[in-house]
Amino acid sequence: MRNPLSRRTFLKSSALAVAALAASSTGAAAAPLFAGPGNEPDDDVKKVLREKFGTRVIREGHVTLDVPDVAPDSREVPLLIESDLPMTADNFVKGFHIVVDHNPDIYLAGFNFTAAIGAATLDTRIKMRRSSHVRVIAETSKGELWTTSRFVYTSLNGCV
Amino acid sequence: MSDVGQGKIILPTKITRDSVINIRALLSHPMLTGMSRDQAGIPIPAYFVNDVVITYGGEQVAHFEWSSGISRDPFVGFSLRADKEAPVTITWKDNKGGVYTQSADIKFGVA
Repeated sequence: MRNPLSRRTFLKSSALAVAALAASSTGAAAAPLFAGPGNEPDDDVKKVLREKFGTRVIREGHVTLDVPDVAPDSREVPLLIESDLPMTADNFVKGFHIVVDHNPDIYLAGFNFTAAIGAATLDTRIKMRRSSHVRVIAETSKGELWTTSRFVYTSLNGCV
Repeated sequence: MSDVGQGKIILPTKITRDSVINIRALLSHPMLTGMSRDQAGIPIPAYFVNDVVITYGGEQVAHFEWSSGISRDPFVGFSLRADKEAPVTITWKDNKGGVYTQSADIKFGVA
């Protein structure tokens, strides 16, 4: 079931690699420091992003995600999210959205803020079904979307 | 923490006016996804916190929407600009109608 080299996984990752190549050849995606296999979201993830954000452009930058490269316990993967975007009364970070590509609930959580919090930081612990990209999307009060992603390797199914 | 719904808010020990402080909050809750089974093979129904509201002096400052992908005994740390002496209240709601509330008072100039 969880054979890492099953046919489906192999096909999926090759498809992802091709998609990533296509994306990089157009110069759209800046390579993150630790990308893991292919940073490009698959169709399920794209669908979730489309439902949540419509056709708005999601750009890389202005948000950082601190997460272990290898999670020893996939039932409790610590996340620390920070942003250098302004936090003033008329221009602030309205929310952080957490997306985990290979979880049953791809859209894991949304954290909505008001300007009263003073700084956009967030610290929490999540479950992961298997090794996957973890994405964070920061939404500003002006409607801009900024993202970052990290690939996290896990050992056990943490979805209990 | 074994009892469901025991909330805890941790504030910094010393708070100065207009500083941005870090608040940590913890709730005891099993956060079941509904995908696991018990020893007899019967599915365990989903049971998780899906809505968290944070108020400061009666005004809503943050609102979190969760799936069951948040870990058991959900923990969250966030910032708040401490511009008044007022209580911070967190209300957690779960998918079975459980409502859990916890408050902590922000006060300035201790020590």
